[in-house]
Amino acid sequence: MTTTRPRFYTTEAVVVRMSDLGEADRLLVLLTPGRGLMRATARSARKPGSKLGGHLDLLCHVSISISTGRGLDTVSQADTLEGFRGLRDDLGRLSRGLYLAELAERFAVEEAASHGPFRLLVDTLRTLEKLPADAADSLLRWYELRMLGQHGFAPQLQRCVDCESALEQKDHVYSAARGGIVCPNCRTRGDDPLLPAPVTVIKILRFLGRATWPEAIGLKVGDDDRRMVERVLRSHLHYVLDRDVKSTGFLDEVRKRLGVAEAAPEGDPPGDGARTGPQG
Amino acid sequence: MDGHRAASLAPPVARLIEAFRKLPGVGPKSAQRLAYHLIRMPRAEAESLAEAILAVKDRIVLCQVCQNITESTPCPICSDQSRDRTRICVVEEPLDSMAIERTRSYDGLYHVLHGVISPVNGIGADDLKVRELLERLRDESVTEVILATNPNLEGEATAMYLQRLLKPLGIAVSRLARGLSSGADLEYADESTLAHALQGRTRSADQDASQSL
Repeated sequence: MTTTRPRFYTTEAVVVRMSDLGEADRLLVLLTPGRGLMRATARSARKPGSKLGGHLDLLCHVSISISTGRGLDTVSQADTLEGFRGLRDDLGRLSRGLYLAELAERFAVEEAASHGPFRLLVDTLRTLEKLPADAADSLLRWYELRMLGQHGFAPQLQRCVDCESALEQKDHVYSAARGGIVCPNCRTRGDDPLLPAPVTVIKILRFLGRATWPEAIGLKVGDDDRRMVERVLRSHLHYVLDRDVKSTGFLDEVRKRLGVAEAAPEGDPPGDGARTGPQG
Repeated sequence: MDGHRAASLAPPVARLIEAFRKLPGVGPKSAQRLAYHLIRMPRAEAESLAEAILAVKDRIVLCQVCQNITESTPCPICSDQSRDRTRICVVEEPLDSMAIERTRSYDGLYHVLHGVISPVNGIGADDLKVRELLERLRDESVTEVILATNPNLEGEATAMYLQRLLKPLGIAVSRLARGLSSGADLEYADESTLAHALQGRTRSADQDASQSL
């Protein structure tokens, strides 16, 4: 059975990957709500006078018109809906924004509706744009759990993932391969790598799993717990995606080697309802 | 399918097509066109092309100072004592330095990064010539570094990263101005370009002249 595609259509999109193509064209990877991940060329977009170039940069939320043909789809018009300037002017926010976009791209598939993940990405980028550095990491962990949940890979945090017994109020371990918390009785079954999961880490993960985004960014976490939560979720994402998320390298470098202290957010404080945040 | 087509071609032609396909921006059809063009080309021209390719591989090196591609190191620009040695313009690629040279508005030195930080492609600062830039800034009497990376997100990320690295050195760091290009239409400009154009607006020449009188 063959499906016919319209010759010309318009859609919202976020540019999640971009590379040079030919003399002055750009090859774009776009996350769209109705068609999931899609590739398209933007002709002459790298020329200074291009009407498309300025609209089609990484992390731009755009409205685009696409012409379909035998080969790659072609962008015929583009208009910026949100440029997220707050991300572009700050290295810390920029590194986190790129991580969000890469994660959305890794989970998305081509030609499959992706309304939830698309809205989650746009709303989270919008929130991150005005967020102070000390709240940004909680937002990232919240986003990771939401993204995992939307694709059916949410970790089991309420019961032992092996024996399904209720977890006691004590330290446990975490297994990405088994998909959640493992109780002391089951930890010796299997030879998969285990990570420490103290009670505080389990509580933080559970809280982020059910929190709305304003609650998540209001969470105050110590450095050790923050690192352990991040480690647990990274191992889970690595197992689910079967690969590393490349932009974590830059994220870590900016945070650790440069010790970037992000600029204070401008304008309205986050979570005051002035702008729509991610849907919890 | 490709294998079947390749099997029906003479092996030297198939090899040439395969070699062209590895070039950036060259697809299978373009590779075939280039290969058949070479077949029809006079032998002398083909030999000249082959020699030019080998010469590039045999004789071209990176300048030890600015990391630009050159036949001798230091390159002619780094060796030119008449150039302003207090300023270094940092560019992504060798072709970017040539574009700036064509303006005849800059007489300082260059530093070529050979790429740009691209987190989603796993390219970080360690993959670029950043360490060489820092070593150079310790030795030379540089007072200004001009960051001339491309005005897109990865270029901006690279420039912001370098600004952070250079801050402790106490050297003035500047960026190329951003805004509308000549001949552009305002209605088609994106919000970022327009915002930068407004931030970087300048007084009109008449006003400057009347104030100076």
